[in-house]
Amino acid sequence: MKRFKSIALAAFAVFVAVGLFAPTFDASAEGSASLSITPKKNYIVEPGKSVDDTLVIRNLDSQAPLNLTLRVVDFTYTNNGGTPKINLAPDAPETTWSLRSFLKVPESVTIPAGQSRTLDMSIAIPAGHGAGSYYSAIVYSSGASEGGNVGLSASGVSLVFVTIPGTVTEKLNLKKVGLYNPNVTNGDLKGYQFSTEHKPMEIGYTLENKGNVTEAPVGTIKLKDLFGNETLIDDVNPTGSLALIGQTRTYTTCIKKASQNADFQGSTARGTTCVDPGLWPGYYSVSLDLFYGQNGNNTQEIVGKGSFWYLPWWFVIAVIIILLVVAFFIWRLVVKIRNTMYGPRFKKSSLRRRR
Amino acid sequence: MQHRLLRFHVSAFMKWRHLWSPELVALLLAMFVFVLPASASTRLEDRSLFTQSNIPDAVTSYKVSFRYMTPSPVSSVDFLVCVNPIPYEACVTPPGFDASQAILSDQMGEMGYSILSKSTNHIVLTRASTALPINTLSSYTFDNIKNPSNTNQSFSIRLRTHASSDATGVQTDFGSVKAQMTEGVNIETQVPPMLVFCLAQQVEENCTSTNDTYYTNMGTLDSESTLVARSQMAVGTNATAGFAITAVGIPLAAGTSVIDGIESPTESAPGTNQFGINLVANSAPAIGDDPEGTWTNALPTPDYGIPNQYKYVSGDVIAESPNVSLMKKFTVSYIVNASPYLRAGVYTTTITYIASGRF
Repeated sequence: MKRFKSIALAAFAVFVAVGLFAPTFDASAEGSASLSITPKKNYIVEPGKSVDDTLVIRNLDSQAPLNLTLRVVDFTYTNNGGTPKINLAPDAPETTWSLRSFLKVPESVTIPAGQSRTLDMSIAIPAGHGAGSYYSAIVYSSGASEGGNVGLSASGVSLVFVTIPGTVTEKLNLKKVGLYNPNVTNGDLKGYQFSTEHKPMEIGYTLENKGNVTEAPVGTIKLKDLFGNETLIDDVNPTGSLALIGQTRTYTTCIKKASQNADFQGSTARGTTCVDPGLWPGYYSVSLDLFYGQNGNNTQEIVGKGSFWYLPWWFVIAVIIILLVVAFFIWRLVVKIRNTMYGPRFKKSSLRRRR
Repeated sequence: MQHRLLRFHVSAFMKWRHLWSPELVALLLAMFVFVLPASASTRLEDRSLFTQSNIPDAVTSYKVSFRYMTPSPVSSVDFLVCVNPIPYEACVTPPGFDASQAILSDQMGEMGYSILSKSTNHIVLTRASTALPINTLSSYTFDNIKNPSNTNQSFSIRLRTHASSDATGVQTDFGSVKAQMTEGVNIETQVPPMLVFCLAQQVEENCTSTNDTYYTNMGTLDSESTLVARSQMAVGTNATAGFAITAVGIPLAAGTSVIDGIESPTESAPGTNQFGINLVANSAPAIGDDPEGTWTNALPTPDYGIPNQYKYVSGDVIAESPNVSLMKKFTVSYIVNASPYLRAGVYTTTITYIASGRF
């Protein structure tokens, strides 16, 4: 009996010790929060017609099932970039570009560990619906945790864009074009620089979309230095980025880029980075030539100009030295000419004396 | 005479000598090195392209419309299909595009044309008439054209009109029209874009495993110390536009009593009500790690990437990548501070991290 008591006490002591000194996070297996989804879908649907497609969702967790609830919500832009602002409020009114009424997805799905599921989705546009761009987002939410002070919940989002063909209003206004540095955070249109001491890497341009469709402009940018040397950027929208309805969107592109292939989840992903374009210091003019337009509508063209100075410190110092040297020689020349004309040691006082 | 010359010099030079010193004049002359250059042209107006089908690789018809602008005779029109719309740039044929079997099936406005020559990406229309173009919209419909294969890239038709009958010599008007194929349903030939995301207290960088823990007990609040916690998430995408992670959720609350989120990046200050997060390694308090991953384009957003400074505003984007990004692991550090007057209770919140593509 005594032995049983001592064993029980020891077990209790271990239990208490574990309870007191366990890590801050409690372990709980509630399901997976590891998913792979399609980030963006594009469709063209004529009024009165529908499109059926599938959503492939993968549970990357090899241990736990993935329980997801799906819902369609609206989104807009966060700022002048391409980050969506998802409106999760359950009672949010539909936006004028909403697809919520037309897009049907399943309400929930459970995906076993390490497996994929293909879900049916459909978009049906009513007859007579106006032409333009419409977009909403499909949100896949894993279950919220219970217990603890801070609970975590993971959600994935697929952005869905639908173009309804027809005559649309297209209007992009060019707000600015010039040298762009994402680390610059001052000014009305953040990131633009008129002069820089760092190597110029990116050119940016900002467009205001006043039409009723999303736009993905294409075209070229040409940099020209003081000596007429040209640097061509032949793809000004390399990611096919969109200016949403009402958005003032800043596009950026590398002056020179390097591509890199890498394995991503079993497929090849091609990434690009900006590299030193090897520009010489000095003044550069920037010429932008953009085209945009929906199928069957007029192709619009935007031409814009900007400029910037690339003035590294070593160059500024060198120019000052050269200017001083040139000025010195010109001054010597002026003095020499003056001495030749009026004689040596010509001074204001001597002029007065002569008068 | 010499006297007059001297007086002229005095009035013209000496009066302004304090402004136009020889040194200043010399500097100005030296600066003339920096002279700025400057450029213009006639474009076809109301240009448009209507493709009957936007499905990649489909054989369909193209209708090209435009308005002739220059009132001079036109005997040929050149259609050159390239990725880039700019007329003077080198032409790269859109992959998959083929106009070598094209037929001119319809024409409106300025008429009388026939196909003089055609190849994979080039069609020349010719006509005998050398009448002045009428100022109405003209359109030309070509059948049997095979669409480009690539949905990620737009393409253009560069247009030129010529007085000559074979599209040679000086061009009269020019312009470009643009189009793009869209993703068809169930295209199997292209690698579909993927967004991979996982979240837990601890995750592997490739998301293949997590510790399946989704909440934390941070301990007991007091006004003299900071409670901390951490979670991890990994994200990556092969989508060209990149990804964004948004944090959504109310700050810690017990009933109506709320520990407000820090609205701008601020250091941890025990004794005041604070709830904040960041995504980098910190020393005060010592918690967190810098992002882990091979590529450097996925980063915490500026407000959430400052060591020892914390912020939490629901709906903020906390990390993003502007383009393709291999898997990247972020460690989220949480801090909670309480004032001595904070109402007693169990303070809880659920933060939802939303991974989305960008547009």
